[in-house]
Amino acid sequence: MTRLVEITVPQAVRERACAGEEGARQSIYAAVAPATFALIRRIIGNRSTAEDVFQDTMMSFFEHLADFREEAPLGAWLRQIAISRCLMHLRSPWRRARLYIEGSGATVATAEVESATRALPPEVIDVERALATLAPTARAVVWMYEVEGYSHAEIAHAFGRSVSFSKSQLARAHLKLRAWFEPQGNRPTCTLS
Amino acid sequence: MHTELEHGLARLLRALPEDGARPYDFGEFERRTREAPIAAARARRARILAVAIVVVLAIGAAAIRFGGGTHLPAPPAVPLAAGRAAALRPAVTADFGGDEADAQQWLESLPREPGVVRVGTRAAVESLEDHLAEVDDLMSSERAGPAAPARLAALQKERSQLVSSLVQVRYAETLADASR
Repeated sequence: MTRLVEITVPQAVRERACAGEEGARQSIYAAVAPATFALIRRIIGNRSTAEDVFQDTMMSFFEHLADFREEAPLGAWLRQIAISRCLMHLRSPWRRARLYIEGSGATVATAEVESATRALPPEVIDVERALATLAPTARAVVWMYEVEGYSHAEIAHAFGRSVSFSKSQLARAHLKLRAWFEPQGNRPTCTLS
Repeated sequence: MHTELEHGLARLLRALPEDGARPYDFGEFERRTREAPIAAARARRARILAVAIVVVLAIGAAAIRFGGGTHLPAPPAVPLAAGRAAALRPAVTADFGGDEADAQQWLESLPREPGVVRVGTRAAVESLEDHLAEVDDLMSSERAGPAAPARLAALQKERSQLVSSLVQVRYAETLADASR
């Protein structure tokens, strides 16, 4: 799948979409939706919540499409919107209140990971499970840094926190992932080579 | 500082398949977009209702605090041997202006068991650990830079307080687990 940051859309299609043409909006949606949803799903974890954040992101994207100034690829602009929506969700007081009451809302439900990874090779399942053990904030930092190529300063800016916050979140996530990948008992492990 | 794990991890994360993460189609997106204003209006009504409830509760609390208390009957002193109903009757009758049926109804409306809400410690622990990691990071920076003993001592003090809070939360968690 093409990375979201690399996706571009011809200007003519964009202009037609801004003018409200259904077909143009549909073709833009087809081009950007899979990568956008994949990014949101990785950060949020839970599928139904990810769908809500995705809907919100895409609505905002189409609403502000006329404001796009072509300073970067359209995908990079959309990625900013998606990540900002994800972080807004992670910071939302409703989510935090639920986390306090439920106590276990931080990680992705094991059943959901298992159903999503049933047909995958074992090493991929291991990575999926390891990711699912991280708290949402740590998972977001890992994904933004390792996959999306954000710097610590950019992550800190996105979260409205210090650079130390980003570094410590990443270091702690690495520790947790290292513990996961080290052989323990009968747990299937993945070799990193 | 990238170790072998970090390099391997980045590679594995980038290679993760996205087939299980397909979004819904454009038709569904349009349908949800059309429904969004309705949902937003519903959420707005819920917010207004929540604010109204908070205002009413605040007014009630202020009335209790400054208006000399409530008119609910005080719990009667129940002599164990005399029996609950017999002991309740005179006190309740007096406070409810002689209407025993009202008093009985009010007593029946009370929950039989006190409500217990179990609050998870994960968020508290996570927040403390985050803060601790930040303080550790700041202390490392301080030690690497020019000597500032006062700042280092302040950070050390903050760290001790955080560790102490974390220990207390963990202890409470252990007690709660043991009591289940």
